[in-house]
Amino acid sequence: MAVKLFSLACVFIFVLCLVISTTAALYGGEIFPYEYHKKVLDNGFKIIVIPMESEGIVAYYTIVRTGSRDEYEPGHSGFAHFFEHMMFRGTEKYPGAVYDSLITTMGANANAYTSNDLTCFHLNFAKEDLERVMELESDRFQNLSYSEQAFKTEAGAVYGEYLKGLSNPFSVLFEKLMDTAFDKHTYKHTTIGFRKDIEAMPTMYEYSKSFFKRYYRPENVVLLVAGDVKPSRVFELAQKYYGGWKKGYVSPTIPVEPEQRGERRVNVSFKGKTLPILTIAYKSAVSFDPGNIEMAACLIMGELIFGETSKLYNNLVLDQQRVQFIEADFSSSRDPALLTIYTMVKKESDISNIENEIYKAIGYFQKHMVDKKELEDLKSNMKYSFLMDLNTPDNVAGNLAQMIAMTGDIDGVDMLYSTIEKVSPEDVWKAANKFLRKEKRTVVVLKGR
Amino acid sequence: MISKSLYTAFILLLCIMMIVSCKTRRGIETVELPVPSDPTISFRVWFKVGSQDDPAGKEGLAALTAAMLTEASTQENKYSDIIKKLYPMAAYYSSAVDKEMTIIKGRVHKDKVKEYLDLFIQAILYPAFEEEDFNRIKTNTLNYLEKTLRYSNDEAFGKELLYREIFKGTPYGHPEEGLIQSVKSITLEHVRNFYKTHFTRDNVVIGIGGNYSSSILKKLKMSLEQLPPRVTRPVEKPKPRPINGLEVVLVEKETQSTAISIGFPIDVLRGDKDYYALWIANSWFGEHRNSSSHLYQVIREARGMNYGDYSYIECFPNGWARQFPPANVSRRQQIFEIWIRPVLNEHAHFALRAAIRELQKLVDNGITEEDFELTKRFLKKYYLHYASTTDMRLGYKIDDLFYGIDDHLKKLPEMLDMLTLDDVNSAIKKHLQYKNMKIVMITKNGKELKEALVKNLPSPIKYATPKPEKVLIEDKEIEGYRLKIDESNVKIVKADDVFVR
Repeated sequence: MAVKLFSLACVFIFVLCLVISTTAALYGGEIFPYEYHKKVLDNGFKIIVIPMESEGIVAYYTIVRTGSRDEYEPGHSGFAHFFEHMMFRGTEKYPGAVYDSLITTMGANANAYTSNDLTCFHLNFAKEDLERVMELESDRFQNLSYSEQAFKTEAGAVYGEYLKGLSNPFSVLFEKLMDTAFDKHTYKHTTIGFRKDIEAMPTMYEYSKSFFKRYYRPENVVLLVAGDVKPSRVFELAQKYYGGWKKGYVSPTIPVEPEQRGERRVNVSFKGKTLPILTIAYKSAVSFDPGNIEMAACLIMGELIFGETSKLYNNLVLDQQRVQFIEADFSSSRDPALLTIYTMVKKESDISNIENEIYKAIGYFQKHMVDKKELEDLKSNMKYSFLMDLNTPDNVAGNLAQMIAMTGDIDGVDMLYSTIEKVSPEDVWKAANKFLRKEKRTVVVLKGR
Repeated sequence: MISKSLYTAFILLLCIMMIVSCKTRRGIETVELPVPSDPTISFRVWFKVGSQDDPAGKEGLAALTAAMLTEASTQENKYSDIIKKLYPMAAYYSSAVDKEMTIIKGRVHKDKVKEYLDLFIQAILYPAFEEEDFNRIKTNTLNYLEKTLRYSNDEAFGKELLYREIFKGTPYGHPEEGLIQSVKSITLEHVRNFYKTHFTRDNVVIGIGGNYSSSILKKLKMSLEQLPPRVTRPVEKPKPRPINGLEVVLVEKETQSTAISIGFPIDVLRGDKDYYALWIANSWFGEHRNSSSHLYQVIREARGMNYGDYSYIECFPNGWARQFPPANVSRRQQIFEIWIRPVLNEHAHFALRAAIRELQKLVDNGITEEDFELTKRFLKKYYLHYASTTDMRLGYKIDDLFYGIDDHLKKLPEMLDMLTLDDVNSAIKKHLQYKNMKIVMITKNGKELKEALVKNLPSPIKYATPKPEKVLIEDKEIEGYRLKIDESNVKIVKADDVFVR
């Protein structure tokens, strides 16, 4: 991407940063409204700092570029998420209870989450606690230590989380969708993992140590700090606390998904009551790449065909009121995943008709070019949505975490919006014909009792 | 005689005009929060009406009416056109109805505020009340009540039913969305009349925050001045029926885990000294989604029984989806609530015992000096996260108006400095208890659980994994901890029969 240094002031700060560290640099973009500063330590640990007004609050995101995608060994699905839990069990220096107590003393808001492509540990705290947080966080990432008993107890909490999800029809449906749509790739299991693997987790203490050793390494982790901080101070502390972290990342051997050559269909029964949920998912061929016009076209296409300003939405949701909602998730992942359409159908007898309406809408976009104004309105929506969501350090960091997981950096933000800006009606037409094909789709229908 | 009558009529008319003009001169109350550095503008227009104003048999009317303003056509635009107009701005407006408050809220980038404001004002002043919009919203509401609430999220189901059980027979005694039969009976005419009665100039407060100009505020004010004047009679504060012992509702449905909610009314509100004392006590006992919570430590951390365990002194809707309390759910009557996230069905009795035992320890012993100091230090900074955006701070300012206090967010740290351990432990003794509570459990086998509860059967827990000796010793105490539950205080209901009428 074209990194733009957009003012003399920036250049001045840039020079100052160079004085502090030869590897620290200042960046600013065309869309992304904040300047940011980067530094990479000798061990490959990258730190990105985004100073912004925040009344003394700092958001501190440690992004491990490992998620359920990386669980390639059979019988070990759900481990990235499980490990997210284990990271709160402490070290010899700061055992779990001590870590909790110190975080409590700081009044920090600390939590974590896991998805396909990342495990993210995030804290929000007052700026005066920066060094203490960096000491604690660097310690647990380098020296995590837990007993087998603690490991087994945490497995119970994870199982409880899985069971909690079973009362939600969308969790049940999504689990079946991924399992059906994928044959080899690790996206076959959801982030929480296969039930049988979760049940077996308590027996995998030794494996858990190997998981930590392979993935929790500086080359695979990015620290993103946003808020009321001075970059030079963050870099200095990063060197002090993370500088001794040893390299050792072992990249996973992710199986390549074979080409799908025929439509797949499956029905799921839900034990509770729900309106039927129809899901149609197309196997995508593109992974996340902010400069890829096909990927940007997919993102746009999902909204154009199924978004709330689409004709289909207007017909099915507002005019005919045959579905409670319809929406599409055509975003991309680190590896090619699914372009998915979800809809909740009001009458069971109408499911196949609704499915046909969806194919008709897709067919229209495969034959016709999208209206230019609709396309421009969508681009405007995407731009303003992104900008409006950048109102707190936590939101800024939270919005960038996925980008970091997929690209290892945030430079791609400006490139992504620049690519989106370039998408033409013809690009959308091409994407509709290339990706939304019958032989690439998986259809899942969930019905309640 | 005639001239005297005319004179009297004239004086009367003059008086009426004076009243009207006084009202006009005074104008609509406004809560302002200018933030020049914020590139957006937030609106929160508060109507002093909520689900407590739903007429009997028409529960859900307030929520349907508000949705007909923000999810439907206006006299100027079809709803589909409104969506299209808002779309390029990435702006929105929506409504939120709680027991006592209705908020029409929206947020827009300052570049787009002029176009946006017209749509926002039209939604409030000129709803079209079209049949097709009404049918869509009503059907969606019924789907939520019939299916989603009862069958998609056992925790939400249990929490909602807890409120219903505590406030049954009062204006708080139904979900804001209503009840299945009552929603079915609501017509568009009911909505029109409810709007005319409650969406009035005398019932509205304007909240605006962010990077707005005086002309934007002036336009909004002048527009809302067009609402008709009408003072509605306030609904009396709900008086929940006294709870007699431990009153249990077991909701039977096909589920592999049991969600548990426990609660009782408390007479403490923001602004009261004891509110802040209980704020400290509750934070130590059950801070929402925080591993520092004592309940969390006992049930999840030491035993791995579930995903989390928390407690509350104010309502905290949608807790599974948010970290911090929402704004504008202010109420004159609050409850103390314990939320035990789903545990295995066979662990339900044990988990209930563990939670109530911890509550008893809190009430009987209070918190220690060490816990008091630690919790104060925690809250002193943690409260800073409550309102990190302009929109949330605006929401808090509106809540201040509701409770008649100056600045809740400012008062929180001040009270932390002022309160003593005695204050906190006295407040615990005064307001919390463990003998008279409502308990709701969403579970699979109600009959079996009822028998275990009523007979006070031991509930030994078997873990899939070994536990430290200390935990196992305590487990022995928990498994036999006496819960005094009379048979007549336990009712078993089917999920299908809840929220019907």
